[in-house]
Amino acid sequence: MNYVGLYTLIRREIARMFRITVQTVGAPLISAFLFIFIFGFILGKKIDSIAGIPYIEFVFPGILTMNVLTSAFQHTSSAVYFGRWVHSIEEVLVAPFSYFEMVAGYVISSLVRAMIVGLGVIFIGLAFGAVALTHPLLFLLYLVGVAVIFALVGILVGLWAQGFEQLNILNTFIIMPLSFLGGMFYSVELLPDLMKTITFANPFFYLIDAMRYATLGFHESNLGIGALIFAGLIIGLGALVIHLFRIGWRLRE
Amino acid sequence: MDTPSLEIKNLTKKYENGPIAVDNISLSLKSGEFFGFLGPNGAGKTSTIKCITGVARITSGTIKVSGIDVVEDYRQARRRVGIAPQEFNVDIFSTVAEILDYVAGYYGFFKKTRIKRVDELLAQFDLEQYRDTQFQHLSGGFKRRVMLARALVHDPDLLILDEPTAGVDVELRHDLWRYLKNLNAEGKTILLTSHYLEEVERLCSRIALIHKAKIVAEGSKKEFMKGSRSLEERYLEITREGNKES
Repeated sequence: MNYVGLYTLIRREIARMFRITVQTVGAPLISAFLFIFIFGFILGKKIDSIAGIPYIEFVFPGILTMNVLTSAFQHTSSAVYFGRWVHSIEEVLVAPFSYFEMVAGYVISSLVRAMIVGLGVIFIGLAFGAVALTHPLLFLLYLVGVAVIFALVGILVGLWAQGFEQLNILNTFIIMPLSFLGGMFYSVELLPDLMKTITFANPFFYLIDAMRYATLGFHESNLGIGALIFAGLIIGLGALVIHLFRIGWRLRE
Repeated sequence: MDTPSLEIKNLTKKYENGPIAVDNISLSLKSGEFFGFLGPNGAGKTSTIKCITGVARITSGTIKVSGIDVVEDYRQARRRVGIAPQEFNVDIFSTVAEILDYVAGYYGFFKKTRIKRVDELLAQFDLEQYRDTQFQHLSGGFKRRVMLARALVHDPDLLILDEPTAGVDVELRHDLWRYLKNLNAEGKTILLTSHYLEEVERLCSRIALIHKAKIVAEGSKKEFMKGSRSLEERYLEITREGNKES
């Protein structure tokens, strides 16, 4: 195992993140502040509690999950895509890394960014009294799990994208809609039957609901299915991404 | 018998939906050799180099660096190769010191060793004053120096230089030649591609010419230039012959 190399790759990616702190940390925190302030604080006062939980506390896990997954996704997708675009990724490809180490370097650095953003969102939530923590260990596990899953998705998109437009397509057309429709702002009990069924088929619902359980002790999905989705996505996506690095898909000519 | 520093056997590289870039070539470089790899644009030089370093996938054939297969034991092989490519494949927003420091880290250098190595290279290539300058703000010649320094960070057995003096002014070119001669004198095996035939004539002891994806001539500098006044004359003879045949 090339520990020093892996540490260097992580260090480099974190340094890259801090070169553009306003974009990588500032922007998601402003977005989280606006969501918590407008939906939780202002509108939340007019909305009845859900299952006895104040609305601001109910929406907070969803806002946190969305920011963590978006940060993780953007970090790896831009790292891999820009690396391909300016060919600087060749520095990594010609170095004595195993393919697992290459992927681990991108995922761990992305995890650091997601955790910094996550911590910032938690502080904003605390300022509005939106944060509860019923199962701290599960909370940490879910937070890391979400970040790892979307870091891996980000690598896939970074490999696949042939232009800046494609880099944003997945975020705009899949990640954002599925997180909004995954019960981020509402309980599935409020939905008509058909929408309820559709929501249960949305994997984002299980990620948000798991986070809601860890923070509020309240859940609407089968947590066992949620755990399987978490584990399945991490293992499946991890294996796929390492395989793509091994065969050099869109990396090696 | 000494293990060759680089041994290419029956290498073929075909790009997806593209022509054959390298067609069944074989080459062997002895340890400590300064080898010139010539050919017109698109002949297959860079594709061969990319196959050696792992930037391109090998279609068929084998490549060994100091006896180590670059596919089967790629991590060990990569520790022995340093590459200064034709394109500037770096993060242009990083400073010169950061570029060298990160690459040293990739090769497993601990902090203390890394700092020492970076300082040595900055001094060796007269880059000290640009230590904290972003790569994007360097002139073409200094960018080339950084590429060369980066290729040497891990003290590789085999140094591959793809057009290392392209776009460099005369003075800097002479400086780079001096660096390369010193490195070769210290025992480093060097594979050089260049369109400046004077450069190859001056530096290399053995030469191969690749034309239309095949090796069409190979030998010591003397053998290569036999019957010709200069390397340029011989080069033109061979490539024109090749063009007529096809």
